[in-house]
Parts: sequence; structure tokens; C-alpha cells
Amino acid sequence: MDFSYSPAETEFRTALRSWLADALPTGWGETVFEPKDEDERARFRLDWERKLHAGGWSGINWPRAYGGRGATLVERAIFAEEMARARAPEGLNIIVGHNLVGTTLLRHGTEAQKQRFLPKIISSEEVWCQGFSEPNAGSDLASVRTRAERRGDKFIVNGQKIWTSFAQYADWCIALVRTDPEVRKHAGLSFLLINMKTPGITIRPLRQISGESEFNEMFFDDVQVPAENIVGEVNGGWAIAMTTLAFERGPEDALGRQMRFKQELDELLTTLASLKRDGGHVIDDPIIRQKLAKSITEVEIMRLNALRSISRYLNGEDRGPDVSLMKLFWSHAAQRLYDTALEALGPLAPLWGSAATAGGRFQLSWLQSKAFTIYSGSSEIQRNIIGERMLGLPR
Amino acid sequence: MNFGFDGTQRSLGDTVARLLQSVPALTAPDLDPRQSDRVYEMLAECGLFALLVPESCGGTGLSLVDTALAVESLGGGLAPPAVIATLAATDAIVRHGHEGQRRELLPKIASGELRVAIALLEPGCGYDPHTMKSTIANGRLTGRKLLVPGAAEADLLLIVTGSGGKPTLALLDARSGGVATQVQESLDPTADFHEVVLKNVAVRPESLLGGASPERAVERLMDVSATLHAGMLMGIAAQMLHKTVEYAKIRVQFGQAIGAFQAIKHRCADMAVAVEAGQSAAYYAFWAIAEDSSDSPRAAAMAKSYCGEVARMVCNEAIQVHGGMGFTWELGLHRYLRRAKVLEHAFGEGAWHNERIVAATLAALIPETNRQWEVA
Repeated sequence: MDFSYSPAETEFRTALRSWLADALPTGWGETVFEPKDEDERARFRLDWERKLHAGGWSGINWPRAYGGRGATLVERAIFAEEMARARAPEGLNIIVGHNLVGTTLLRHGTEAQKQRFLPKIISSEEVWCQGFSEPNAGSDLASVRTRAERRGDKFIVNGQKIWTSFAQYADWCIALVRTDPEVRKHAGLSFLLINMKTPGITIRPLRQISGESEFNEMFFDDVQVPAENIVGEVNGGWAIAMTTLAFERGPEDALGRQMRFKQELDELLTTLASLKRDGGHVIDDPIIRQKLAKSITEVEIMRLNALRSISRYLNGEDRGPDVSLMKLFWSHAAQRLYDTALEALGPLAPLWGSAATAGGRFQLSWLQSKAFTIYSGSSEIQRNIIGERMLGLPR
Repeated sequence: MNFGFDGTQRSLGDTVARLLQSVPALTAPDLDPRQSDRVYEMLAECGLFALLVPESCGGTGLSLVDTALAVESLGGGLAPPAVIATLAATDAIVRHGHEGQRRELLPKIASGELRVAIALLEPGCGYDPHTMKSTIANGRLTGRKLLVPGAAEADLLLIVTGSGGKPTLALLDARSGGVATQVQESLDPTADFHEVVLKNVAVRPESLLGGASPERAVERLMDVSATLHAGMLMGIAAQMLHKTVEYAKIRVQFGQAIGAFQAIKHRCADMAVAVEAGQSAAYYAFWAIAEDSSDSPRAAAMAKSYCGEVARMVCNEAIQVHGGMGFTWELGLHRYLRRAKVLEHAFGEGAWHNERIVAATLAALIPETNRQWEVA
């Protein structure tokens, strides 16, 4: 067991930190923030990603052959930490394009697909979205009904996808589609790469409880997809989608999130230290302190859980149900953190926006946190995975 | 960066687990405090007490992090708490003992010849070593200590007390004049708790630990003990999770194994998440105190508070999933429940450590206003 970093890893961290200091605008995270308008923010995030790429900080642990940096998994973890430490903008294409599509293609794509798609994911020239869920296939993902019928050298796709983040900005989509309705539901699925500019695709924004419209529903109406844009075999899509989900819940993602939760927690503690109520500081309230202690501990454990998983992979283990343990833990712990934040803000917690303490960031985060236990596999699905695949309980 | 254990560390954990499994009385339903007498000798024979002793003093010269999985096995195997008291005392002597104590005591501790009991709690006091009523005045120690595991069998008593208004550590012969021990009834009689009455016990200056900075020796003992207890608690939690999952696979109701029902499966999954999270906190604390990392007091506090909560939750759920059987004496789950509860309340329970976590976090985050949050 060793929490120290090698000279090469430390050098990586130092180089990244100094690059970030130059690349981010002066006053970033203190007086300068992301645009408030959602479309402007999307463009801003995409510009940031392209800046990262130009600086050589994209595709950190991807092979050099496809335009990556060829760094180690530990350096990938350092990257997540440093980006969050600098409060660097979240990417637009990082979550789906880099973390999901890239990693899936690296494992299951043909050489031609890797050559065609990976460099443009790394450069963020092409933005991706994820077409998995449907109105009647949420937790029961294998029930997707969107049909893909083979006609000549094309698949013809018809159906509907939902909860598609960033579809309005996406150039490409990974889609889980039904290619054989006659067989067992898991055995009739395929994994397609669909160009979002193809005729027949309609996108409608969905408004979330936070008031934002990050995600959408998508309609496919006789959409033509070249046959070579299938990943893996026809009817072999389920296993590939499972790879995608393992990466969606992986420690790289969890570490980046952890650092952002840690920043919000530090911001909360600083806010409460100067917030006065009933003639004293809120931070001195012993009941609030007990709850804060729990969140401080849990945010630290999020980091430790992710580092344990990364260490497992470094020691030769493969990704398994450990990602479900990690996701189940951080999602519920983060919700408790924001519940505690609003509780600590006390009588004025209902205020919104600029009238609220700390500009309303905790109220917005509290609303956003409700999605954590639902997306990328609801808590109930994670518990099934842990129960059946890790503990060996009967189905 | 590697947050994993190596082969030696894992095999040490397995060895201790197997050794304890060979003594069925340890986990038997009946509460016999004497059932574990042989265990101390067995653990000494396998070299457990030599692990933390430097090679120059006849030991193996390992660090606390090397013992993490062994400590977890001690917890899961319901080894008596007196065992980890000796381990914590070993660390105290290695770190804060003077040359004479190290040379004379450590080889005998390594061989199992000397056992050490740690006395902290007092009537009317909390966990804070600063507030103990017992004191050393004019070379004499007077006070009452409660819930001291293994005091009757111990050769040495490591006593957290006060001298000149400051906390200090006295390491005394358990058979010194003025020392009287008596068994205390407790939730877990197998923890072998004693009350220790100290009446004008002679304390020579060379019996004190910590030299010029006795407070640091006391703080270190508290952090090490909290971490060792966290490790023991995780051993219990992992054992309870295992037993529960195995039961859910074979217990049939409504025509199927109850583990197939999500009401049961999801409880088990939540237990597994809690065990994973608690182990993360405990293992990190072992590393932090072994390496004297600057955040080690906070890491120890987090581990003790969090693992106490995890063990409580997992034990409660284990009994619930076992249903009526779980509540019977014969099944013996109450042994783990009782042990987890007494460990949870030793060396600081959750609320006490939580306050330390917040104080340490604020002190690091907002240093200029540091003093405002110092623990009284």
C-alpha cells in the first residue's frame, strides 16, 4: 500500500497544473464562471475541450496510435483530480464521447472504426450522445424496441430514445437497437454508430426538475445507417453495452466527481463559517457539525473507493461489480451532502438564485443531485448487480 | 500509488483467520470469558505480537499497515480485545518508550511473555484524555478506570492519566501495590472487561511514556487504538455480511431462496456497499498512522466513527435477514452484535470522533480562524 506518487507521476501533475494555470482565464472559479445560458455554456465547454486537445491533454490514457497521450491509469486519475482542483470546465464530449464511446471502441471496435472515430473524439471535432434508454426500456434496458432492419448494405432504424444528454449538440450517437425481435430479448440487440445528421432524426428537449434542459428525446424515422457502423456482431450488442456501462460507472468518472463534491463541501464549510444565525456562527451548531462530519467522511471515502478500484485494475483484476459499489456509494452520499447543505442553510434555504446564500449553488446542486441515483443504472439495478454478480444471490 | 495489500499482508490476515477458526469456542453462542485463554498463547506462537516490534528488539519489524488484514481477522474471529490492546501498547512503547522500556519490554512482548492492558475510561468522564480525573501527584497515581479489557491477565497496565494538568501515559506493573482489578459485567462478557482501582500507586519517572512530550504519546495511542478498533469492526461487519448472504442462499420461503427477493437482495447489497466503504476508511487510517501522514488523526477519527456505524448497520441487518433464527441464542449472531457494540464505544464513539473530524477539517480549510474551533 502506497499513496505516494512516482517522480514521473508527480512531473505529470506539475506539468498539468501549470498548463491549467495558463489555460484558464484569470480569476477562473472566483470571479469568472461558465456562461449561464445553456447553449452558450455548451459552446464554451466544447471550446475548452479543443483547447485541452491542442495542449496535448486529451485522451490521457488512450494509445498514442489513435491520438491519445498513452499515459497510465494513475496519471488518468491524477488528470481527473487536477481538472477538478482547478475547477476546470466540465467537458461536453468527455462524459459520452471520451469515457463511453472511446473506451467501448477501443475494446470492441474494428481497426477501421478506431481509425475513423477515435482521433475525432479525442480532438472533440465530433460530439457524441448515448441512445440507450427508451420510454419502455429504462432499468429493463434489454427491452429496447427501436428496430434496425438490414436492407442491403444499410440498417433502417425506427423508434424512440429518451434521456439523451447533449443530443442537441451531438454529431454521432451510440445506439442500442433491436435487430431480432424473435429471440430472447438480450440476444436480439445490436450496437450501432449513428450519424446525427442523417435524415429522419428528430430531437426534442426535455426539461429537468432543475429547470435545465440538458437531456432530450430522439425519434428515428427510417434512418439509414451504413452496415459497417455496427460495433461487434449483429445481435451481439448487449455485451458491448455492458462494457460501455462499466466505464460509465468507473473510478475515472467517480474521481472527477469526488473532487467536485469536495469543492462544494469546502465551499459549504467556508460559507457556514461566516454565516451568522441567532447571534452565533452556524458552523458552531453541534447538530449541524455531526451531519457535516458524516459528509466530510463520505466524500473522503468516495475518493478512497475509487483509488481502491484503480489499484485493483493495476494489480491485474478486471472491471466488475466493484463499479456498482462505487456508484451506489457516491450517488447516495452526494444526495446526503446536499440535504445537509440545505438543512444547514436553515430558514433561508428556500431562497433561489442570487438572493440565496452562495448565489444559490447549493439549491441548484440539491435539485441536480436527485438524478444521481437514477442515471447510468438506478440504485435498484446496481443493487441487483451487486447481489447477483458479486454476492452470488439467486436471480 | 497503490491502495491494495501485498501477498505477505494478505497471507498474514489469512493465517490469523484460520488460527481463530480452529478455536470454535471463540464464536460459540455461550458467553464464557475464559474460552479465549488459549487464544492469546496461540497468537503469540504464530508471531502476532512480534510483528510491530523492531528487529533490533527481537521482533519482525513490520508496520501497522502490514497488520491491517490480520486485525480485521482478529475482529471477524472474535479474538478478545486484550489482543489489540497489546498491539497498541507495543506501538506506544516503540514510538514513545525510552531506551530502557524498549530494551526490557519489547522482546518479552514479542514472545508473548508480557501482556499489556490499556486503561482509559473513568466514571463521569468522556473519551477526552484531557479530562481524566485520575492523576499522578507526588509520584503517586490515584483513580478508577472502567472497561479495561484483559486487566486480570495483564502483566502491565498502560494507563491514560493526568500529571500537572496534562494528559500522560504511565506503564506500570499490573501487580504493583495499590492496584486492584475486578471483573465488570458488560454487554459482552467475552471482552473480559475489568474495573481497575488505583490507590496511591507508586509511579517512578521512568515508568512514564513520551519523554518531554507525553501529550503526543497519548494522542498517538488514541489514534492507533481507534484505528485498530475500526479494523476489528470491519472484520465483524465482513463476517456478518458473509453469514447473511450464505443464509439468504439456502433459506427457502414462498418456494424460493429468500436471497432471490429484492427485499433481501437489496439489503445485502447495501451491506456490501457499507463494508466496502468502511474498509476504505479503515485501510486508509492504517496507512496514515503507519506513515505518520499529517492527516492521520483525522483519518483515524473517520475510520472509527464510520466503521462503528457500518458494523452497527450490518449487524442489525444480519439479524433482520436471519429472521427469528437471528434472534435465537443458539445461532450465535448475538456474539458479533455484542462485540461490535462494545468496540463501537471504545476509544471514542461516533459523535466524539465526528466532532474531531469537523474541527480538523476546518483547521486545515480555514487556518486563520483555527482557534475558534479547537476542541475544548
